[in-house]
Amino acid sequence: MSKQESNPERRSQNRNQDTNGYEDMENGHRDLDEDDGRARATGEALVEIDDLTKIYDPDGAHVTAVENMDLEIGDNEFVCVLGPSGCGKSTVMECIAGYLEPTEGEVLINGDPVDGPDPSRGVVFQSNRLFPWKTIGQNARFGPQMRNAVDDDRIRELLEETGLSGFEDSYPHELSGGMQQRAELVRLLANDPDIMLMDEPFSGLDAMTKELMQEMLLDIWEEEDRTVLFITHDVAEAIFLADRVVVMTARPGQIKDVIDVDIDRPRDSSVLTSEAFNEYQKRANELIHDEAERAMEQKQQETQEA
Amino acid sequence: MDTAKWAKRSASILGLLGVWFVVGALGPQTLPGPAAVAGAFVGYVGSPVYWNAITLSTLRVLGAFTIAALIGVPLGLLIGWSVVFGDFTYPALELVRPIPPIAWIPFTILVLPSLAFSLGIASFEIDTGIVFITFLGAFFPILLNAIAGVRSIDDEYSRAAQSLGAADWQTFRHVIYPGALPSVHTGMVVGMGLAWVNLVAAEMISGGGLGFMTWSAYTGGSYPVIFVGMITIGILGYVSSTIVRYIGASQLPWMEGSTA
Ligand SMILES: Nc1ncnc2c1ncn2[C@@H]1O[C@H](COP(=O)(O)OP(=O)(O)O)[C@@H](O)[C@H]1O
Ligand SMILES: [Mg+2]
Repeated sequence: MSKQESNPERRSQNRNQDTNGYEDMENGHRDLDEDDGRARATGEALVEIDDLTKIYDPDGAHVTAVENMDLEIGDNEFVCVLGPSGCGKSTVMECIAGYLEPTEGEVLINGDPVDGPDPSRGVVFQSNRLFPWKTIGQNARFGPQMRNAVDDDRIRELLEETGLSGFEDSYPHELSGGMQQRAELVRLLANDPDIMLMDEPFSGLDAMTKELMQEMLLDIWEEEDRTVLFITHDVAEAIFLADRVVVMTARPGQIKDVIDVDIDRPRDSSVLTSEAFNEYQKRANELIHDEAERAMEQKQQETQEA
Repeated sequence: MDTAKWAKRSASILGLLGVWFVVGALGPQTLPGPAAVAGAFVGYVGSPVYWNAITLSTLRVLGAFTIAALIGVPLGLLIGWSVVFGDFTYPALELVRPIPPIAWIPFTILVLPSLAFSLGIASFEIDTGIVFITFLGAFFPILLNAIAGVRSIDDEYSRAAQSLGAADWQTFRHVIYPGALPSVHTGMVVGMGLAWVNLVAAEMISGGGLGFMTWSAYTGGSYPVIFVGMITIGILGYVSSTIVRYIGASQLPWMEGSTA
């Protein structure tokens, strides 16, 4: 995988066209004049999922959500986990985040087993989880505030980059869905995690906002050294964002295949119409089609039994 | 609020007066009409007996409500938050809860003393039994709503806090407490209303305040005064619940559609 030497000027023009007149995103763009040549994944495993099995046992129902999963995620890698709904994607993420204990196997971070949640592993939830009782500014500060290490300049910078300046004193419910997601991203970045775990963070957004959010996420990721595990059931989203797309089977979740996405970075929405993108999308669609069908059948069966 | 709304609300009260007027004219001799009650009101408004009763009842409610909030809120938050703490405390509280206020009265007379204080020139006597029964009225709604408030908070908020580096007590301070506040607020509004209910029941039997004033109007045969007592209790109950509602709303600026 290689990173293209990009022309920052062309890039920022592109973004301006994309974002013009939409919400207040025009404030959100940023000239990327540095870091574009940042090294790709180093190959060392930062996250190592080792033979992970998770069985839920509510009232003896015994649901095997994930079975014997092995996956390594390198430092600074952007990995998407793609799979039909109910296949165990969130379960995998929750094991990495430290919310769940694996039934079998383990998750290692830099070689050490996960032992509960940690600020080095930041999480963005599927449904927005900004604290409703805190303003956007208070939310953004939350992580550093827990350690008494608030850096006001950094917070201001992040809010500016995401087009949220001027909304510090607003409460989350006063913002649009897209702005809330950006604010949650700011809260996460202000805490400077090594690993970002994102569980279908854009699935509730309209198509237009979603595209802008994806571009913003890539900008942020390219700017600083970070590892991302991004969960989605959206094929195009996975390919647009990822270095590698991990396709999962229907429940019990296992890895069906891994697609290396060799599209130059930085990427913007023009990638979406490229030949290469279409090829990847076709392949991923084929892989996931049967699994989605199986997942649907499972769901139907469950509804009938219930 | 707009005028149309006020007009409808006034109509509701006028309607009640109308029904009373008609029933008073047609009904039993013992039921005084609005005019007789208005007359009694005028007499009472100038009398220290009336104002002393109001002061005493209000102070009892205020004291009992404050104690109920100071105990009920932290206790409820802890019970809702910690399963172990809940298991140790909640069953006992659930056993006590269904006992109606009247049933407590003999117990309080036997066990709870009347405390006399003297502060400089003024001296007070606090009937702890009445305050206790009033306290029970406010305590349980506050407690139960605090517990429900904690349990209604989605786990993902606590998870989010933990993943941002919050220790347990910080999660309690920044997620559990503020997240439960709307429900705590509801509990306080309901609790304030029930404090008045229990207060009047206790005062009727045990003495003093508006409850006793109303009851002795009955035993003394001055029926219009019964209504003076009832209406005063109604107004005070409404006003104090409204005050709690507004103070609460001002503490919850983040709630959608909150008045602050
Ligand atoms: N707490 C739980 N108790 C029982 N079953 C669960 C629980 N959480 C998830 N599951 C089940 O495990 C499977 C995988 O869930 P999840 O990881 O949320 O899937 P995904 O995120 O891919 O939609 C689903 O069938 C779901 O119903
Ligand atoms: Mg999920």
